[in-house]
Amino acid sequence: MSNLATTIPSVWQPHTQQQAYRQLMQAFANPGQIETLSDDALLLTLATLLDGATSLADVHGLIPALDYTRLETVTATPETAHFVLADGAQVPAFAPSLGTLESPEGGATLLLAITSVSEGNAYTLSGPGIDGVRNIALQGLNPAWLDARESWNAAFPMGVDILLLAGRKVLALPRTTSIKGA
Amino acid sequence: MSVTYNFGFMDEHAKKEVRRSILKAISIPGYQVPYSSREMPMGRGFGTGGLQITLSLIGADETLKVIDQGSDDSVNAVNLRQFVELTCPGVNTTTHLNEATLIQSRHRIPEVPLTPNQTLVLQVPYPDPLVVVEPSEDKRKVMHGEADYARLLVKLYEDIVKFDEITISHRYPTRINGHYVIDPSPIPRWDVPKLNNSPALILFGAGREKKIYAVPPHTIAEPLAFDDVPFRVESFNDTHGNRRPCERCGATDSFLDEYINEDGSKRYQCSDSDYCDTVLAETKEAAHA
Repeated sequence: MSNLATTIPSVWQPHTQQQAYRQLMQAFANPGQIETLSDDALLLTLATLLDGATSLADVHGLIPALDYTRLETVTATPETAHFVLADGAQVPAFAPSLGTLESPEGGATLLLAITSVSEGNAYTLSGPGIDGVRNIALQGLNPAWLDARESWNAAFPMGVDILLLAGRKVLALPRTTSIKGA
Repeated sequence: MSVTYNFGFMDEHAKKEVRRSILKAISIPGYQVPYSSREMPMGRGFGTGGLQITLSLIGADETLKVIDQGSDDSVNAVNLRQFVELTCPGVNTTTHLNEATLIQSRHRIPEVPLTPNQTLVLQVPYPDPLVVVEPSEDKRKVMHGEADYARLLVKLYEDIVKFDEITISHRYPTRINGHYVIDPSPIPRWDVPKLNNSPALILFGAGREKKIYAVPPHTIAEPLAFDDVPFRVESFNDTHGNRRPCERCGATDSFLDEYINEDGSKRYQCSDSDYCDTVLAETKEAAHA
């Protein structure tokens, strides 16, 4: 038998997930900061965060069936899921869970697959985790998401936290980040 | 028989739950995210909350520093460091702040400012600052959600009426990003300003109370105070109004511990042992030069 660690794809191994988590944590702590993961950001992020105690709504069917099984997660509707995965080019056609005043951590984490994320001056971010302002450019994100985000996050502490994923790159927009278009 | 532990002792599902809780804690600065707080092979109240965060974050390339009341050599720090060394093969440990990527601390924030590449984990005995004014957790959660801290402010006001001073020496209630008020763990007042606009992420773990909360970098952290009674840190001045130096290294810019000598006289020394050693080494080097 060959060494088990070499036969399981890297994405599903604890060490890879630990490394990826530290980058995701940095991304959340520094909104708009781009982290480059060691593998496909979409699958690696899901593999790192999800297990049987979480629920997932894959709105546009972005995860291949085999990988979906390996996530061992519970399938839920986008209205109730802890994690909602969607194609960022589409228009949001659902209302995610926002949590409650007493338990705002129930607000969903949205993972939006887009074409590219980069530094640039299309959007100016400010808020906790940002020293002054941070500028980013996004491609393949339907602006309707940002409008919807604004209304979902209107009543802090309730709201949604967003991860934008493109290739191996990921950036986070927690509910506290304010976004201004150029 | 040798026993092999999973890397980091905790199983991967337990780590994932802590990791998800941390992300929500960062997204809602100062909010106490409930988590399951697994059994650890030491009593709750011995830093299990901080330890579970550390073990969920740590990787094989990590350099960890563990501090207890500023010292790397006191019993809680030594025990936790040895536990991590036992269960996380490949992890480096250090007493030097500038070498550490991950710092777990009980009751102090290091004197030297942290860097953006470092993460500080604080052990928390009592996470909720409202517990002194409201016994029901359900009601406290509503008060936190509404950012209603009127009763806490009344408590501080009563202190001023009775003692002309807010008498909280540690665990000073601090408002994060203009909303949630946190118990910043039993750090002295001296350390509270370090929470404001911190270059590094600060995570709080309460194992017994099963809560995780966070102060992200570059976030406003304001100790509760009144316009006419501003917050102030501990004074280390002697009776003549001169700043006492550390008797070991001579530093006049650090938090000092008070020791009683055998003859009853008092002695003052840095609480942060790594800082004290660093200043002492610099002084010696300067003397040799």
